[in-house]
Amino acid sequence: MSRSEPDGAELEALLSRCAAGDRAALETLYARVAPILLAVLMRILRRRDVAEDALQDVFVSVWQRAHQFDPIRGRALAWLVSMARYRAIDLQRAARPALPLSEVSALEPQLQSESPLEGGEMLGTGALLMRCLEQIAAPQRRCLMLAYEEGLTHSEIARAVNEPLGTVKSWVRRSLMALRRCLES
Amino acid sequence: MNYEQAELLDRLAAEYTLGTLRGSARRRFERLCVDSAAARSAVYRWEDRLSALSRTLPPVAPSPQVWTAVSRRLFGAHPAAGAAPRVGRRRTWQLAAAAALVAVLVVGLIVRQAAPPPLQTLAVLGTDTAHPVWRLERRLPLTALTMEVIGTVPEAAGKSYELWALPHGGAPVSLGLLPAAGRAERTLSEPQRLALLSAEKVAVSVEPLGGSPTGSPTGPIVIVTSVPAPG
Repeated sequence: MSRSEPDGAELEALLSRCAAGDRAALETLYARVAPILLAVLMRILRRRDVAEDALQDVFVSVWQRAHQFDPIRGRALAWLVSMARYRAIDLQRAARPALPLSEVSALEPQLQSESPLEGGEMLGTGALLMRCLEQIAAPQRRCLMLAYEEGLTHSEIARAVNEPLGTVKSWVRRSLMALRRCLES
Repeated sequence: MNYEQAELLDRLAAEYTLGTLRGSARRRFERLCVDSAAARSAVYRWEDRLSALSRTLPPVAPSPQVWTAVSRRLFGAHPAAGAAPRVGRRRTWQLAAAAALVAVLVVGLIVRQAAPPPLQTLAVLGTDTAHPVWRLERRLPLTALTMEVIGTVPEAAGKSYELWALPHGGAPVSLGLLPAAGRAERTLSEPQRLALLSAEKVAVSVEPLGGSPTGSPTGPIVIVTSVPAPG
């Protein structure tokens, strides 16, 4: 299944109109990306009501900070997804106090059956990223995905994969550096 | 910056973006990003690299209330206001239907959420008491700040007005840009919340468009006002 992705140039144009105070642009931007951002938020925050409140906060910030977006330094979708992830991470402690071990274990089967490569066809940097991820050994790659998609901390990942904390920390660090080398080669 | 420092910075930026940099280390890195263009650009590069991972998630359509709430928080009471100018006469009935739906949703929200957190006036900002410009209100408990234009904002072409908390004995902490028109609600980060809780005064400075580039006031301070102790 290929995921239709919003057009980057369109998102950039919408952000610059938001920066100029164009409310209709925010509404269009919302229609394009809110479902993508809500998926990201729900995965990390686990609860739809909490995730929808966070989505509100994200769009309020998008409007207020649209002038800070600079297309030279990064892509619009990456900027928007990052805003959502950072908001979720900041909210996590309140929304998900100390994830009990049993919940992490309950996630296990679901996560084990998943591969980051199931997303289907990807274009451009997405495809390259997936190729680079494939080169990372499966256990290390899982740690990376648990951190990125589920928003788990080092300790939560360590419990989820049943490895010592120090091992997980160094796996995550080395996987990130391997990704960087691969993406830049 | 030498090679080791650049590597360390890149590693921190990677873990920040991934989300594994937490707690006080995360906050410290955020503060570093305010001052360091190198830190910011390392973060942007990692955001670009990793964001493709999100695209494996199937999108989830938000409930209609979310947009209504965003629109109310940013643009005030009437959620359909932004859409109105684009609707022609022939679609007036549709607009009426939409307005009715919005009314139902708003009522639904009020019922569902019982009472929204109350607001308390924090300060009225003006160059003097006869010329109020902005009203500041805080949510109770303190999670967000609303800023509403209630007078004439002095003309400042190509500049922004930035609000600062002046914590007792500490450096000013930015509370964001004041709106040029209308009403805005800003969610406070933990450092902003703490700064405001310990602040005796707030100040407004004139900054380059988009706010102070340094994280501290750089332009003239045009307003300083006392704020009540947290209640």
